Amino acid sequence: MFAPDGSVRAPYRAFHDRLSQWDADTYRRRQAIADLDTLNSGITFTVYNDDAGTERIFPFSLVPRIIAPSEWARVERGLGQRVTALNRFLGDIYGEQRCIRDGVIPAELVFDHSAYRLRMAGFTPPLGVYCHIAGIDLIRDQEGVFRVLEDNLRTPSGVSYVIENRRTMLNTVPELFPDARVQPVDGYPERLLEMLAAVRPEGVPADHVRSVILTPGPHNSAYFEHSFLARQMGIELVEGRDLVVDDDRVFLRATTGLERVHVIYRRVDDDFLDPLVFRSDSLLGVTGLMNAYLAGNVTVVNAVGTGVADDKTTYRYVPDLIRYYLGEEPIIPNVDTYTGWKAEDLEYMLDHLHELVLKPSDGSGGYGIVVGPQASPETLDAARERVRSDPRKWIAQPVQEFSTIPSFNGDVFEPRRADLRPFVITGDSSWVLPGGLTRVAANTESYIVNSSQGGGSKDTWVLRSDPEGDPAAPFPVQSQSHAQEQ
Amino acid sequence: MLSRTAESLYWLGRYLERAENLARLADVNLQTSTEQTSDGVEAWDAVIATMGAQDAFSEAQEDNPGLTPADFVIYSTQYPQSLRSTISQARGLAREIREYLSREVFEEINRLYLSTSRSPGDESHRVLYANVKRSVAAILGLFDNTVLLTEGREWFRCGLFLERADMTSRIIDTKYFILLPSSDEVGGPLDRYQWMSVLRSASALEAFRKRHRGTVTGARVAGLLMFDREFPRSLVFCLLALRRHFERATADTPDARSVAAEREIALLELDLRAADSADVIRSGLHQFLDEFQARLGRVDQALRDDIFRALPEAPPR
Repeated sequence: MFAPDGSVRAPYRAFHDRLSQWDADTYRRRQAIADLDTLNSGITFTVYNDDAGTERIFPFSLVPRIIAPSEWARVERGLGQRVTALNRFLGDIYGEQRCIRDGVIPAELVFDHSAYRLRMAGFTPPLGVYCHIAGIDLIRDQEGVFRVLEDNLRTPSGVSYVIENRRTMLNTVPELFPDARVQPVDGYPERLLEMLAAVRPEGVPADHVRSVILTPGPHNSAYFEHSFLARQMGIELVEGRDLVVDDDRVFLRATTGLERVHVIYRRVDDDFLDPLVFRSDSLLGVTGLMNAYLAGNVTVVNAVGTGVADDKTTYRYVPDLIRYYLGEEPIIPNVDTYTGWKAEDLEYMLDHLHELVLKPSDGSGGYGIVVGPQASPETLDAARERVRSDPRKWIAQPVQEFSTIPSFNGDVFEPRRADLRPFVITGDSSWVLPGGLTRVAANTESYIVNSSQGGGSKDTWVLRSDPEGDPAAPFPVQSQSHAQEQ
Repeated sequence: MLSRTAESLYWLGRYLERAENLARLADVNLQTSTEQTSDGVEAWDAVIATMGAQDAFSEAQEDNPGLTPADFVIYSTQYPQSLRSTISQARGLAREIREYLSREVFEEINRLYLSTSRSPGDESHRVLYANVKRSVAAILGLFDNTVLLTEGREWFRCGLFLERADMTSRIIDTKYFILLPSSDEVGGPLDRYQWMSVLRSASALEAFRKRHRGTVTGARVAGLLMFDREFPRSLVFCLLALRRHFERATADTPDARSVAAEREIALLELDLRAADSADVIRSGLHQFLDEFQARLGRVDQALRDDIFRALPEAPPR
């Protein structure tokens, strides 16, 4: 919100003016109303081992992230570019494998990867799209440049919070919105539905296509989102046991009998999708689904086998892949990353380990991470030894500082680090939801924005037009168009 | 529609109706026990007996000797038929099939759940009962006015009327379990008072006054609550509604799936219409109600086995 000299950055000025009229009591009161709104709409998680009925909401801050449209246009182009290249990459590794012959990426990295699905080789999904829905995590570095932190190409979640956060803001603090100048986010479900229809199997008429969402069930932490999207799109939310496959076609178990299904937006991981092909102990999947998919009778969204492309090591190669497939420079840079797969990277890693963060490439949840600047010489030596003995298992990144946004801690505003997950839908072409999910850390010190670590979220505003340079310039008051916006 | 969703909607209707009936029953018992100290406790015992929960209650009492019947029936989280468990189950289902419900319906169910999930004692019982009754009424109204009139809504109604028939039969049956002291006789003041409690438990006292100018007698109460086709909580009213909603819900369902349940419903409805209240009382009201509840159980069974959880047949070519 603030520039280094303490002045309010241009996109935030109108909002800052309005918020400045509030005292702490007003803010606390509005926050309580917003929290109640969230609680009543059931966007909660249950705290286990606690008194029955203790449900918590994810912390939500009324101060949004605000992005100027000129800045967003660049992000939008960059995301489109990245997803296009990643789709081309997936089409290539399951097809001609040119990138491997041309030495852009090591063959072992792709083919030995646990998420590489041999069954997908030689199969082209409708429109050649693999990552229909992508969530690309971004941060803003010290220079204010957006960088990609991570690609999420399997079943990225969070979009329901984007839409619900906006609804809560409009319900509880409408007067904080600069009149009709914030781009709406509720177009997402319609775009999603259009995309699902666009990737239907060949031969199915457009007005005849039946799409469903496949969920692992109510106990999944993202169940609210699955149900939310089904409701918003007006399609069925099904579990594995609701579907049956016969003669390589997928049917839904209806009260009147079996009904044909054409497109499955699955929120179930590859491993659990079809016990016949993947994990045989899976109760969440649909027996025979993979055969129906490969026979071209049903489309699975996202495609099976996209996990190779959002791996921590593959990430290192994405800028190269963009250059290779599109002949363009990446519009949104990566965070500098070094992998043991590249000789020059490995050398740098071993020499500079004391200033880098070392991570296992296949790990998650923070296991095995060594933070160089905080590690003792003995720890660093041991880490170097581990890297040398199996360099391909490791990546390293500089300690990455990223931008903060003010959050109210109950008494005062304080800076919290925040990332941004925009969502990209790809069918005939790519579309980026204006904004995305802004996640914030639980306190001023923390670098971790995950909700499992107590982090919260914010609304994300992409303005319609760039604010004028003069901070004193009044914003036009157009109550008419404001009403239409809602 | 998806079989699993249909089954969930049917159960959502059952749970909501059950919650509303339990709240009303508890409310009337609270009133009765305020007016007649010793009989109040007996009235609760009758509720537990008619719900078939004697064993569950004595077990719970062994763990917690101070447990009152009211606390058990209303607040217990262990007993799956308690008011609190019922609402919690309704909310769980609503969450599972949220994509089918409108935002308004879900939020009202959620609010009902949140307001009853807190520990007892922080508000008066009457406030709680009134809140449950009003909230269920709001949910039914919102359901009618914000949810598409499709097959799913018919399944919801089927569950609601089946449960209402079951609950009304149990409310009538509470009278069977309340023994009259030997000094009082059938038709005496206490007997009349007890039948009036039954009427109040079924929201039927005003309807009764409109039907009968005279005294409250067992035969008249049973007649209203079982055979009055215009009283919305009577057994025959519920069965007529159940049959109507079932026929709409299964308009496109093949006979192989729907016929067993349809037969059970139709026979039960016809038998009710053919019955006579004086005959029923002469040959044993309790036995009649027991049989009625068992037949509702067979309807439920047929719905589950043949429709909601039917094995898939050969797919269409």
